[in-house]
Amino acid sequence: MSAVLSTHGLVARYGDFQALYGVDTELGAGECVALIGANGAGKSTFLRAVMGLLPVAREMVRLDGEPVGGTAPDRMVQKGVAIVPEGRRLFTGMSVEDNLRVAIDQAARAAGKAGARAGGKGGWTLKRVHDLFPILAEKARTPVQSLSGGQQQMVAIGRALLCQPRVLLCDEISLGLAPKVIREIYAALPEIRAAGTAVILVEQDVGLAQSASDRLYCMLEGRVTLAGKSAEISRAQIGEAYFGVGHAVA
Amino acid sequence: MTMTAVPFADAGLPAVRVQRQTPSGRIALTLALAALVALVAMPWWASTGTIRWILELCCYLAVAQMWNLLAGYAGLVSVGQQAFMGAAGYALFVLAQTYGINPFLAVFLSLLVPAVLAVPTYFLLHRLEGPYFSIGTWVVAEVFRLVSTNLPLVNSGAGMSLRVMKDYSAFERNVAMSLLCATLLLVTLGGSYWLLRSRFGLALIAMRDNPVAAASQGVQVGRLRFLIYVAAAVGCGLAGAIYFMAQLRITPGSAFDPMWANLAIFIVMVGGIGSIEGVLIGTLIFFVADRWFGEYGASYFVVLGLMTLAVALYARTGIWGAIARRWDAPWFPIGRRLIDPQQGTKGETR
Repeated sequence: MSAVLSTHGLVARYGDFQALYGVDTELGAGECVALIGANGAGKSTFLRAVMGLLPVAREMVRLDGEPVGGTAPDRMVQKGVAIVPEGRRLFTGMSVEDNLRVAIDQAARAAGKAGARAGGKGGWTLKRVHDLFPILAEKARTPVQSLSGGQQQMVAIGRALLCQPRVLLCDEISLGLAPKVIREIYAALPEIRAAGTAVILVEQDVGLAQSASDRLYCMLEGRVTLAGKSAEISRAQIGEAYFGVGHAVA
Repeated sequence: MTMTAVPFADAGLPAVRVQRQTPSGRIALTLALAALVALVAMPWWASTGTIRWILELCCYLAVAQMWNLLAGYAGLVSVGQQAFMGAAGYALFVLAQTYGINPFLAVFLSLLVPAVLAVPTYFLLHRLEGPYFSIGTWVVAEVFRLVSTNLPLVNSGAGMSLRVMKDYSAFERNVAMSLLCATLLLVTLGGSYWLLRSRFGLALIAMRDNPVAAASQGVQVGRLRFLIYVAAAVGCGLAGAIYFMAQLRITPGSAFDPMWANLAIFIVMVGGIGSIEGVLIGTLIFFVADRWFGEYGASYFVVLGLMTLAVALYARTGIWGAIARRWDAPWFPIGRRLIDPQQGTKGETR
Protein backbone atom coordinates (compact mmCIF):
# COMPACT_ATOMS: atom_id res chain seq x y z
CA MET A 1 0.00 0.00 0.00
CA SER A 2 1.36 3.41 -0.89
CA ALA A 3 0.80 5.56 2.15
CA VAL A 4 -0.11 9.18 1.52
CA LEU A 5 0.48 10.00 5.16
CA SER A 6 2.45 8.01 7.71
CA THR A 7 3.87 8.54 11.16
CA HIS A 8 7.01 6.86 12.43
CA GLY A 9 7.63 6.66 16.16
CA LEU A 10 5.68 9.91 16.59
CA VAL A 11 6.49 11.49 19.93
CA ALA A 12 4.83 14.69 21.15
CA ARG A 13 4.87 16.49 24.44
CA TYR A 14 3.26 19.48 26.11
CA GLY A 15 6.14 20.95 28.07
CA ASP A 16 7.26 18.22 30.46
CA PHE A 17 4.24 16.06 29.82
CA GLN A 18 4.76 13.44 27.14
CA ALA A 19 1.48 12.76 25.35
CA LEU A 20 2.54 10.42 22.52
CA TYR A 21 5.01 7.54 22.87
CA GLY A 22 6.14 6.42 19.44
CA VAL A 23 2.96 6.20 17.37
CA ASP A 24 3.22 4.39 14.01
CA THR A 25 0.32 4.83 11.61
CA GLU A 26 -0.34 4.73 7.90
CA LEU A 27 -3.02 6.28 5.75
CA GLY A 28 -3.44 5.03 2.19
CA ALA A 29 -4.60 7.27 -0.64
CA GLY A 30 -8.36 7.71 -0.46
CA GLU A 31 -8.55 5.61 2.67
CA CYS A 32 -10.58 6.42 5.77
CA VAL A 33 -8.90 5.56 9.03
CA ALA A 34 -10.51 6.01 12.43
CA LEU A 35 -8.62 6.80 15.57
CA ILE A 36 -10.44 5.81 18.74
CA GLY A 37 -9.59 5.84 22.39
CA ALA A 38 -10.65 7.22 25.73
CA ASN A 39 -10.24 10.84 26.79
CA GLY A 40 -6.59 11.68 27.15
CA ALA A 41 -5.43 8.78 24.99
CA GLY A 42 -3.65 11.21 22.69
CA LYS A 43 -5.97 11.25 19.67
CA SER A 44 -6.27 15.02 19.34
CA THR A 45 -2.60 15.39 20.17
CA PHE A 46 -1.85 13.01 17.30
CA LEU A 47 -3.77 15.23 14.86
CA ARG A 48 -2.17 18.39 16.22
CA ALA A 49 1.28 16.85 15.89
CA VAL A 50 0.61 15.77 12.30
CA MET A 51 -0.77 19.20 11.41
CA GLY A 52 2.31 20.98 12.74
CA LEU A 53 0.48 22.56 15.64
CA LEU A 54 2.89 20.83 18.02
CA PRO A 55 6.64 20.61 17.54
CA VAL A 56 7.76 17.16 16.35
CA ALA A 57 10.88 15.83 14.65
CA ARG A 58 10.97 15.99 10.86
CA GLU A 59 11.29 12.24 10.25
CA MET A 60 8.29 11.39 12.41
CA VAL A 61 5.65 12.48 9.88
CA ARG A 62 5.83 11.69 6.20
CA LEU A 63 3.59 12.94 3.41
CA ASP A 64 4.04 10.90 0.22
CA GLY A 65 7.27 9.64 1.77
CA GLU A 66 8.62 13.15 2.24
CA PRO A 67 9.50 14.00 5.85
CA VAL A 68 7.27 16.91 6.93
CA GLY A 69 7.17 16.64 10.75
CA GLY A 70 7.10 20.02 12.48
CA THR A 71 6.20 21.92 9.31
CA ALA A 72 4.14 25.03 10.11
CA PRO A 73 0.38 24.46 9.73
CA ASP A 74 -0.02 26.95 6.90
CA ARG A 75 2.66 25.06 4.95
CA MET A 76 0.91 21.77 5.73
CA VAL A 77 -2.26 23.21 4.20
CA GLN A 78 -0.30 24.07 1.06
CA LYS A 79 1.02 20.53 0.98
CA GLY A 80 -2.53 19.19 1.05
CA VAL A 81 -3.41 18.48 4.68
CA ALA A 82 -6.41 20.18 6.27
CA ILE A 83 -7.91 19.86 9.72
CA VAL A 84 -11.42 20.15 11.12
CA PRO A 85 -10.32 21.16 14.60
CA GLU A 86 -11.85 20.03 17.85
CA GLY A 87 -14.48 22.52 18.99
CA ARG A 88 -14.76 23.76 15.38
CA ARG A 89 -12.81 26.97 15.98
CA LEU A 90 -14.75 29.08 13.49
CA PHE A 91 -13.99 32.74 12.92
CA THR A 92 -16.75 34.01 15.16
CA GLY A 93 -16.82 37.56 13.88
CA MET A 94 -17.63 36.45 10.35
CA SER A 95 -20.54 35.23 8.28
CA VAL A 96 -20.65 31.65 7.00
CA GLU A 97 -19.57 32.87 3.60
CA ASP A 98 -16.54 34.76 4.91
CA ASN A 99 -15.43 31.80 7.01
CA LEU A 100 -15.31 29.72 3.86
CA ARG A 101 -13.74 32.57 1.93
CA VAL A 102 -10.68 32.62 4.21
CA ALA A 103 -9.84 29.13 2.99
CA ILE A 104 -10.61 30.04 -0.63
CA ASP A 105 -8.40 33.13 -0.46
CA GLN A 106 -5.50 31.24 1.04
CA ALA A 107 -5.84 28.32 -1.37
CA ALA A 108 -5.91 30.77 -4.29
CA ARG A 109 -2.85 32.55 -2.96
CA ALA A 110 -0.97 29.26 -2.50
CA ALA A 111 -2.01 28.06 -5.95
CA GLY A 112 -0.89 31.34 -7.49
CA LYS A 113 2.46 30.95 -5.82
CA ALA A 114 3.14 27.30 -6.42
CA GLY A 115 1.50 27.05 -9.83
CA ALA A 116 -0.10 23.66 -10.32
CA ARG A 117 0.50 21.95 -7.01
CA ALA A 118 1.25 18.28 -7.29
CA GLY A 119 -1.85 16.27 -6.42
CA GLY A 120 -4.43 17.84 -4.16
CA LYS A 121 -6.81 18.52 -7.00
CA GLY A 122 -9.81 18.15 -4.77
CA GLY A 123 -11.60 20.63 -6.97
CA TRP A 124 -13.67 21.87 -4.05
CA THR A 125 -15.58 25.02 -4.84
CA LEU A 126 -18.08 27.02 -2.86
CA LYS A 127 -20.78 25.46 -5.00
CA ARG A 128 -19.67 21.91 -4.24
CA VAL A 129 -19.57 22.67 -0.53
CA HIS A 130 -23.07 24.08 -0.84
CA ASP A 131 -24.18 20.92 -2.65
CA LEU A 132 -22.69 18.84 0.14
CA PHE A 133 -24.32 20.93 2.89
CA PRO A 134 -27.25 22.84 1.31
CA ILE A 135 -27.96 24.64 4.57
CA LEU A 136 -24.69 26.58 4.16
CA ALA A 137 -25.96 28.16 0.94
CA GLU A 138 -29.16 29.11 2.69
CA LYS A 139 -27.30 30.62 5.65
CA ALA A 140 -24.42 32.10 3.65
CA ARG A 141 -24.82 35.56 5.13
CA THR A 142 -25.64 34.54 8.67
CA PRO A 143 -23.03 35.18 11.35
CA VAL A 144 -21.61 31.79 12.32
CA GLN A 145 -22.32 32.43 15.98
CA SER A 146 -26.04 32.17 15.42
CA LEU A 147 -25.82 28.75 13.75
CA SER A 148 -26.63 25.50 15.51
CA GLY A 149 -23.76 23.22 16.52
CA GLY A 150 -24.33 20.92 13.59
CA GLN A 151 -24.40 23.78 11.11
CA GLN A 152 -21.22 25.17 12.62
CA GLN A 153 -19.59 21.78 12.20
CA MET A 154 -20.62 21.84 8.53
CA VAL A 155 -18.94 25.23 8.15
CA ALA A 156 -15.79 23.83 9.75
CA ILE A 157 -15.79 20.84 7.38
CA GLY A 158 -16.55 23.02 4.36
CA ARG A 159 -13.77 25.38 5.32
CA ALA A 160 -11.31 22.50 5.58
CA LEU A 161 -12.42 21.08 2.21
CA LEU A 162 -11.86 24.43 0.51
CA CYS A 163 -8.19 24.11 1.47
CA GLN A 164 -8.25 21.38 -1.25
CA PRO A 165 -6.82 18.67 0.97
CA ARG A 166 -5.57 15.25 -0.05
CA VAL A 167 -5.66 14.36 3.61
CA LEU A 168 -8.48 15.56 5.87
CA LEU A 169 -8.03 15.35 9.63
CA CYS A 170 -11.34 15.37 11.53
CA ASP A 171 -11.25 15.91 15.27
CA GLU A 172 -14.40 14.67 17.03
CA ILE A 173 -16.84 16.02 14.50
CA SER A 174 -19.76 14.31 16.25
CA LEU A 175 -19.05 15.80 19.66
CA GLY A 176 -22.08 17.44 21.25
CA LEU A 177 -24.39 16.89 18.28
CA ALA A 178 -27.76 15.18 18.06
CA PRO A 179 -27.73 11.68 16.48
CA LYS A 180 -29.74 12.91 13.50
CA VAL A 181 -27.25 15.70 12.83
CA ILE A 182 -24.33 13.30 13.23
CA ARG A 183 -25.87 11.06 10.57
CA GLU A 184 -26.24 14.06 8.26
CA ILE A 185 -22.60 14.99 8.70
CA TYR A 186 -21.31 11.46 8.31
CA ALA A 187 -23.40 11.11 5.17
CA ALA A 188 -21.04 13.62 3.57
CA LEU A 189 -18.08 11.33 4.11
CA PRO A 190 -18.48 9.14 0.99
CA GLU A 191 -18.69 12.25 -1.18
CA ILE A 192 -15.52 13.63 0.38
CA ARG A 193 -13.71 10.34 -0.17
CA ALA A 194 -15.00 10.15 -3.74
CA ALA A 195 -13.06 13.35 -4.41
CA GLY A 196 -9.93 11.36 -3.63
CA THR A 197 -9.40 12.75 -0.16
CA ALA A 198 -8.07 10.42 2.51
CA VAL A 199 -9.59 10.93 5.94
CA ILE A 200 -8.42 10.41 9.50
CA LEU A 201 -11.39 10.43 11.86
CA VAL A 202 -10.84 10.95 15.54
CA GLU A 203 -14.02 9.70 17.13
CA GLN A 204 -15.35 8.99 20.62
CA ASP A 205 -18.26 6.97 19.33
CA VAL A 206 -16.72 3.57 18.66
CA GLY A 207 -19.66 2.21 16.69
CA LEU A 208 -19.71 5.23 14.44
CA ALA A 209 -15.96 5.09 13.93
CA GLN A 210 -16.07 1.42 13.08
CA SER A 211 -18.85 1.73 10.55
CA ALA A 212 -17.46 4.81 8.84
CA SER A 213 -13.83 3.71 8.45
CA ASP A 214 -11.82 1.14 6.47
CA ARG A 215 -9.31 0.60 9.24
CA LEU A 216 -8.99 1.77 12.77
CA TYR A 217 -6.34 2.41 15.36
CA CYS A 218 -7.14 2.30 19.03
CA MET A 219 -5.01 4.42 21.32
CA LEU A 220 -4.34 4.21 25.03
CA GLU A 221 -2.08 6.49 27.03
CA GLY A 222 -0.22 7.79 24.00
CA ARG A 223 0.35 4.41 22.34
CA VAL A 224 -1.43 2.42 19.64
CA THR A 225 -2.84 -0.65 21.33
CA LEU A 226 -4.83 -2.08 18.44
CA ALA A 227 -4.81 -1.72 14.67
CA GLY A 228 -6.76 -3.53 12.02
CA LYS A 229 -9.55 -3.59 9.48
CA SER A 230 -12.64 -2.02 11.00
CA ALA A 231 -14.96 -4.74 9.77
CA GLU A 232 -12.83 -7.53 11.24
CA ILE A 233 -12.21 -6.20 14.72
CA SER A 234 -14.53 -7.41 17.44
CA ARG A 235 -16.01 -5.30 20.19
CA ALA A 236 -14.14 -7.38 22.77
CA GLN A 237 -10.81 -6.64 21.10
CA ILE A 238 -11.64 -2.95 21.05
CA GLY A 239 -12.69 -3.02 24.69
CA GLU A 240 -9.41 -4.58 25.67
CA ALA A 241 -7.37 -2.08 23.69
CA TYR A 242 -9.55 0.85 24.74
CA PHE A 243 -9.28 0.32 28.48
CA GLY A 244 -6.14 -1.75 28.65
CA VAL A 245 -7.87 -4.54 30.54
CA GLY A 246 -8.58 -8.10 29.52
CA HIS A 247 -12.26 -8.74 30.09
CA ALA A 248 -14.11 -5.85 31.66
CA VAL A 249 -16.13 -4.78 28.66
CA ALA A 250 -19.44 -6.05 27.43
CA MET B 1 -11.28 54.59 -1.56
CA THR B 2 -14.16 54.06 -3.89
CA MET B 3 -14.91 50.40 -3.37
CA THR B 4 -18.65 50.48 -3.13
CA ALA B 5 -20.24 47.63 -4.95
CA VAL B 6 -18.52 44.71 -6.59
CA PRO B 7 -20.47 42.08 -8.53
CA PHE B 8 -20.38 38.73 -6.82
CA ALA B 9 -19.40 36.03 -9.27
CA ASP B 10 -19.82 32.67 -7.56
CA ALA B 11 -22.05 30.20 -9.30
CA GLY B 12 -25.00 28.68 -7.51
CA LEU B 13 -25.78 31.67 -5.35
CA PRO B 14 -28.69 34.04 -5.62
CA ALA B 15 -27.95 37.30 -7.41
CA VAL B 16 -26.33 39.40 -4.72
CA ARG B 17 -24.05 42.38 -4.69
CA VAL B 18 -21.19 42.87 -2.28
CA GLN B 19 -21.30 46.24 -0.63
CA ARG B 20 -18.22 47.41 1.19
CA GLN B 21 -19.27 50.91 2.21
CA THR B 22 -22.25 51.89 4.34
CA PRO B 23 -24.05 55.23 4.88
CA SER B 24 -22.50 55.57 8.34
CA GLY B 25 -19.12 54.71 6.83
CA ARG B 26 -19.53 57.37 4.18
CA ILE B 27 -20.39 59.99 6.80
CA ALA B 28 -17.39 58.95 8.93
CA LEU B 29 -15.07 59.00 5.93
CA THR B 30 -16.28 62.50 5.03
CA LEU B 31 -15.72 63.65 8.61
CA ALA B 32 -12.28 62.02 8.64
CA LEU B 33 -11.32 63.87 5.46
CA ALA B 34 -12.64 67.12 6.92
CA ALA B 35 -10.59 66.50 10.08
CA LEU B 36 -7.52 65.86 7.96
CA VAL B 37 -8.02 69.14 6.09
CA ALA B 38 -8.53 70.95 9.41
CA LEU B 39 -5.30 69.40 10.69
CA VAL B 40 -3.33 70.58 7.69
CA ALA B 41 -4.86 74.06 8.01
CA MET B 42 -4.05 74.34 11.74
CA PRO B 43 -1.44 77.13 11.42
CA TRP B 44 -4.18 79.38 10.06
CA TRP B 45 -6.78 78.76 12.75
CA ALA B 46 -5.04 77.43 15.86
CA SER B 47 -2.55 78.89 18.31
CA THR B 48 0.83 77.25 18.84
CA GLY B 49 -0.48 75.91 22.16
CA THR B 50 -3.50 74.31 20.49
CA ILE B 51 -1.30 72.77 17.83
CA ARG B 52 0.88 71.27 20.57
CA TRP B 53 -1.99 69.50 22.28
CA ILE B 54 -3.52 68.35 19.00
CA LEU B 55 -0.13 66.92 18.10
CA GLU B 56 -0.09 65.03 21.38
CA LEU B 57 -3.58 63.74 20.65
CA CYS B 58 -2.44 62.54 17.22
CA CYS B 59 0.50 60.71 18.80
CA TYR B 60 -1.84 58.99 21.28
CA LEU B 61 -4.11 57.93 18.40
CA ALA B 62 -1.21 56.59 16.37
CA VAL B 63 0.44 54.67 19.21
CA ALA B 64 -2.89 53.25 20.34
CA GLN B 65 -3.80 52.12 16.84
CA MET B 66 -0.41 50.45 16.44
CA TRP B 67 -0.98 48.62 19.71
CA ASN B 68 -4.47 47.70 18.52
CA LEU B 69 -3.01 46.21 15.36
CA LEU B 70 -0.46 44.26 17.40
CA ALA B 71 -2.70 43.06 20.22
CA GLY B 72 -6.10 43.15 18.57
CA TYR B 73 -5.28 41.50 15.26
CA ALA B 74 -1.87 39.84 15.53
CA GLY B 75 -2.30 38.69 19.14
CA LEU B 76 1.06 40.22 20.07
CA VAL B 77 0.61 41.98 23.40
CA SER B 78 3.59 44.31 23.47
CA VAL B 79 4.28 46.62 26.37
CA GLY B 80 7.50 47.84 24.80
CA GLN B 81 6.52 49.87 21.76
CA GLN B 82 8.23 52.87 23.41
CA ALA B 83 11.48 51.18 22.35
CA PHE B 84 10.75 52.12 18.76
CA MET B 85 9.38 55.57 19.59
CA GLY B 86 12.57 56.40 21.45
CA ALA B 87 14.80 54.84 18.81
CA ALA B 88 13.22 56.91 16.05
CA GLY B 89 13.24 60.03 18.25
CA TYR B 90 16.94 59.62 18.96
CA ALA B 91 17.65 58.88 15.29
CA LEU B 92 15.94 62.16 14.36
CA PHE B 93 18.01 64.13 16.88
CA VAL B 94 21.28 62.54 15.74
CA LEU B 95 20.52 63.03 12.04
CA ALA B 96 19.30 66.61 12.38
CA GLN B 97 21.44 67.92 15.23
CA THR B 98 24.69 65.96 14.84
CA TYR B 99 24.76 65.45 11.09
CA GLY B 100 22.91 68.59 10.04
CA ILE B 101 20.30 66.90 7.88
CA ASN B 102 17.09 68.89 7.34
CA PRO B 103 14.95 67.90 10.39
CA PHE B 104 11.77 67.49 8.34
CA LEU B 105 13.55 65.08 6.04
CA ALA B 106 15.23 63.45 9.04
CA VAL B 107 11.80 62.56 10.51
CA PHE B 108 11.27 60.14 7.66
CA LEU B 109 14.88 58.94 7.46
CA SER B 110 14.76 58.15 11.17
CA LEU B 111 12.03 55.56 10.50
CA LEU B 112 14.68 53.24 9.10
CA VAL B 113 16.02 52.76 12.62
CA PRO B 114 12.87 51.23 14.19
CA ALA B 115 12.29 49.22 11.02
CA VAL B 116 15.78 47.74 11.15
CA LEU B 117 15.71 47.20 14.92
CA ALA B 118 12.31 45.51 14.78
CA VAL B 119 13.62 42.60 12.70
CA PRO B 120 16.15 41.10 15.15
CA THR B 121 13.86 42.05 18.05
CA TYR B 122 11.03 40.04 16.55
CA PHE B 123 13.21 37.01 15.93
CA LEU B 124 14.39 37.22 19.51
CA LEU B 125 10.88 37.51 20.95
CA HIS B 126 8.52 35.61 18.64
CA ARG B 127 9.12 32.23 20.26
CA LEU B 128 7.80 33.57 23.54
CA GLU B 129 4.12 32.97 24.23
CA GLY B 130 1.56 35.37 25.72
CA PRO B 131 2.77 37.07 28.90
CA TYR B 132 6.38 36.00 28.29
CA PHE B 133 6.31 37.87 25.00
CA SER B 134 4.96 40.96 26.76
CA ILE B 135 7.67 40.87 29.38
CA GLY B 136 10.24 40.36 26.63
CA THR B 137 9.11 43.50 24.81
CA TRP B 138 9.41 45.48 28.03
CA VAL B 139 12.91 44.12 28.61
CA VAL B 140 13.89 45.14 25.08
CA ALA B 141 12.63 48.68 25.72
CA GLU B 142 14.64 48.82 28.96
CA VAL B 143 17.73 47.57 27.12
CA PHE B 144 17.26 50.35 24.55
CA ARG B 145 17.02 52.85 27.41
CA LEU B 146 20.17 51.54 29.07
CA VAL B 147 22.09 51.55 25.78
CA SER B 148 21.07 55.15 25.08
CA THR B 149 22.10 56.11 28.62
CA ASN B 150 25.61 54.86 27.88
CA LEU B 151 26.00 55.79 24.22
CA PRO B 152 28.19 58.86 23.60
CA LEU B 153 26.65 59.25 20.11
CA VAL B 154 23.38 60.32 21.77
CA ASN B 155 25.09 62.31 24.54
CA SER B 156 24.58 59.44 27.02
CA GLY B 157 22.28 60.07 29.96
CA ALA B 158 22.25 63.85 29.54
CA GLY B 159 19.96 63.69 26.52
CA MET B 160 19.88 65.91 23.43
CA SER B 161 18.24 69.13 22.34
CA LEU B 162 17.06 69.92 18.84
CA ARG B 163 18.65 73.35 18.54
CA VAL B 164 18.49 73.36 14.74
CA MET B 165 14.79 74.12 15.02
CA LYS B 166 15.80 77.68 15.85
CA ASP B 167 16.52 78.15 12.14
CA TYR B 168 12.82 78.01 11.43
CA SER B 169 10.20 80.61 12.33
CA ALA B 170 7.35 79.70 14.67
CA PHE B 171 4.95 79.76 11.74
CA GLU B 172 7.14 77.46 9.65
CA ARG B 173 7.37 75.03 12.53
CA ASN B 174 3.60 75.11 12.97
CA VAL B 175 3.07 74.35 9.30
CA ALA B 176 5.50 71.45 9.49
CA MET B 177 3.93 70.07 12.69
CA SER B 178 0.45 70.27 11.16
CA LEU B 179 1.56 68.43 8.04
CA LEU B 180 3.36 65.82 10.12
CA CYS B 181 0.23 65.29 12.27
CA ALA B 182 -1.86 64.73 9.15
CA THR B 183 0.75 62.34 7.75
CA LEU B 184 0.92 60.44 11.02
CA LEU B 185 -2.83 59.82 11.11
CA LEU B 186 -2.96 59.04 7.42
CA VAL B 187 -0.21 56.44 7.79
CA THR B 188 -1.32 54.80 11.04
CA LEU B 189 -5.13 55.03 11.00
CA GLY B 190 -5.57 55.27 7.24
CA GLY B 191 -2.96 52.59 6.69
CA SER B 192 -4.65 50.20 9.12
CA TYR B 193 -8.02 50.79 7.49
CA TRP B 194 -6.54 50.13 4.08
CA LEU B 195 -4.82 46.98 5.36
CA LEU B 196 -8.03 45.62 6.85
CA ARG B 197 -9.91 46.21 3.63
CA SER B 198 -7.14 44.79 1.45
CA ARG B 199 -6.75 41.14 0.49
CA PHE B 200 -4.91 40.65 3.81
CA GLY B 201 -8.00 41.89 5.63
CA LEU B 202 -9.92 38.64 5.81
CA ALA B 203 -6.80 36.75 6.86
CA LEU B 204 -6.12 39.34 9.58
CA ILE B 205 -9.68 39.16 10.90
CA ALA B 206 -9.49 35.36 10.83
CA MET B 207 -6.27 35.61 12.81
CA ARG B 208 -7.93 37.96 15.29
CA ASP B 209 -10.84 35.55 15.76
CA ASN B 210 -8.75 32.40 16.07
CA PRO B 211 -5.06 32.25 15.19
CA VAL B 212 -4.80 28.45 15.40
CA ALA B 213 -7.75 27.92 13.09
CA ALA B 214 -6.45 30.63 10.75
CA ALA B 215 -3.10 28.84 10.49
CA SER B 216 -4.97 25.59 9.85
CA GLN B 217 -6.72 27.28 6.91
CA GLY B 218 -3.41 28.21 5.34
CA VAL B 219 -3.14 31.75 6.71
CA GLN B 220 0.55 32.46 7.18
CA VAL B 221 0.14 33.58 10.76
CA GLY B 222 3.87 33.77 11.48
CA ARG B 223 4.61 35.90 8.45
CA LEU B 224 1.66 38.24 9.01
CA ARG B 225 2.66 38.68 12.65
CA PHE B 226 6.20 39.60 11.61
CA LEU B 227 4.96 42.13 9.06
CA ILE B 228 2.59 43.69 11.59
CA TYR B 229 5.33 43.85 14.21
CA VAL B 230 7.63 45.73 11.83
CA ALA B 231 4.80 47.97 10.60
CA ALA B 232 3.82 48.82 14.19
CA ALA B 233 7.45 49.59 15.03
CA VAL B 234 7.59 52.03 12.11
CA GLY B 235 4.22 53.56 13.03
CA CYS B 236 5.31 54.05 16.64
CA GLY B 237 8.63 55.37 15.37
CA LEU B 238 6.88 58.02 13.31
CA ALA B 239 4.80 59.05 16.34
CA GLY B 240 7.97 59.17 18.46
CA ALA B 241 9.94 61.23 15.97
CA ILE B 242 7.11 63.76 15.63
CA TYR B 243 6.46 63.86 19.38
CA PHE B 244 10.09 64.50 20.30
CA MET B 245 10.53 66.99 17.48
CA ALA B 246 7.74 69.00 19.09
CA GLN B 247 9.31 68.53 22.54
CA LEU B 248 12.67 69.76 21.16
CA ARG B 249 14.37 67.64 23.78
CA ILE B 250 14.94 63.93 24.33
CA THR B 251 16.39 62.00 27.25
CA PRO B 252 16.61 58.23 27.83
CA GLY B 253 13.90 58.49 30.46
CA SER B 254 11.40 60.33 28.27
CA ALA B 255 12.30 58.46 25.06
CA PHE B 256 11.66 55.00 26.48
CA ASP B 257 8.85 55.93 28.86
CA PRO B 258 6.59 52.93 29.67
CA MET B 259 3.76 55.47 30.03
CA TRP B 260 3.18 55.01 26.28
CA ALA B 261 2.42 51.33 26.76
CA ASN B 262 0.02 52.15 29.62
CA LEU B 263 -1.91 54.70 27.61
CA ALA B 264 -2.10 52.47 24.53
CA ILE B 265 -3.49 49.61 26.61
CA PHE B 266 -5.99 51.90 28.34
CA ILE B 267 -7.17 53.48 25.09
CA VAL B 268 -7.59 50.23 23.20
CA MET B 269 -9.11 48.18 26.03
CA VAL B 270 -11.61 50.84 27.08
CA GLY B 271 -12.40 52.01 23.56
CA GLY B 272 -12.79 48.53 22.09
CA ILE B 273 -10.06 46.18 20.94
CA GLY B 274 -9.91 45.09 17.32
CA SER B 275 -11.59 48.16 15.88
CA ILE B 276 -10.46 51.58 14.67
CA GLU B 277 -13.60 53.18 16.13
CA GLY B 278 -12.58 51.95 19.58
CA VAL B 279 -9.23 53.67 19.30
CA LEU B 280 -10.88 56.98 18.46
CA ILE B 281 -13.30 56.70 21.39
CA GLY B 282 -10.60 55.52 23.80
CA THR B 283 -8.22 58.30 22.81
CA LEU B 284 -10.86 60.97 23.38
CA ILE B 285 -11.67 59.54 26.81
CA PHE B 286 -8.03 59.30 27.77
CA PHE B 287 -7.29 62.79 26.51
CA VAL B 288 -10.15 64.38 28.41
CA ALA B 289 -9.35 62.38 31.55
CA ASP B 290 -5.70 63.36 31.29
CA ARG B 291 -6.57 67.07 31.05
CA TRP B 292 -9.09 67.03 33.88
CA PHE B 293 -7.67 64.54 36.34
CA GLY B 294 -3.97 64.51 35.47
CA GLU B 295 -3.28 66.77 38.46
CA TYR B 296 -4.26 63.98 40.87
CA GLY B 297 -1.10 62.09 39.89
CA ALA B 298 -0.86 58.55 41.18
CA SER B 299 -4.50 58.19 42.23
CA TYR B 300 -5.52 59.20 38.69
CA PHE B 301 -3.41 56.37 37.28
CA VAL B 302 -4.95 53.96 39.77
CA VAL B 303 -8.41 54.93 38.48
CA LEU B 304 -7.32 54.47 34.85
CA GLY B 305 -5.87 51.07 35.76
CA LEU B 306 -9.06 49.99 37.53
CA MET B 307 -11.14 51.12 34.55
CA THR B 308 -8.99 49.04 32.20
CA LEU B 309 -9.28 46.06 34.53
CA ALA B 310 -13.06 46.40 34.78
CA VAL B 311 -13.42 46.55 31.01
CA ALA B 312 -11.08 43.58 30.55
CA LEU B 313 -13.12 41.53 33.02
CA TYR B 314 -16.71 42.55 32.32
CA ALA B 315 -16.89 44.18 28.89
CA ARG B 316 -14.11 42.72 26.82
CA THR B 317 -15.19 44.42 23.62
CA GLY B 318 -15.00 47.87 25.24
CA ILE B 319 -17.23 50.83 24.57
CA TRP B 320 -17.27 50.33 20.82
CA GLY B 321 -18.26 46.70 21.32
CA ALA B 322 -21.28 47.80 23.36
CA ILE B 323 -22.23 50.39 20.75
CA ALA B 324 -21.79 47.97 17.84
CA ARG B 325 -24.09 45.45 19.52
CA ARG B 326 -26.86 48.04 19.76
CA TRP B 327 -26.48 49.95 16.51
CA ASP B 328 -25.23 48.43 13.32
CA ALA B 329 -23.51 51.55 11.99
CA PRO B 330 -19.74 51.09 11.69
CA TRP B 331 -17.69 54.21 11.07
CA PHE B 332 -15.01 52.27 9.27
CA PRO B 333 -16.69 49.21 7.76
CA ILE B 334 -14.18 46.53 6.90
CA GLY B 335 -16.60 43.73 6.13
CA ARG B 336 -18.52 42.78 3.08
CA ARG B 337 -22.25 43.18 3.13
CA LEU B 338 -24.22 41.07 0.74
CA ILE B 339 -27.23 42.77 -0.71
CA ASP B 340 -29.98 40.49 -1.89
CA PRO B 341 -32.56 42.41 -3.93
CA GLN B 342 -35.34 40.19 -2.58
CA GLN B 343 -34.43 40.14 1.09
CA GLY B 344 -32.50 43.29 1.82
CA THR B 345 -29.23 43.32 3.72
CA LYS B 346 -28.17 40.35 5.79
CA GLY B 347 -25.09 39.36 7.67
CA GLU B 348 -21.74 41.00 7.84
CA THR B 349 -18.21 40.49 8.98
CA ARG B 350 -17.18 42.82 11.71
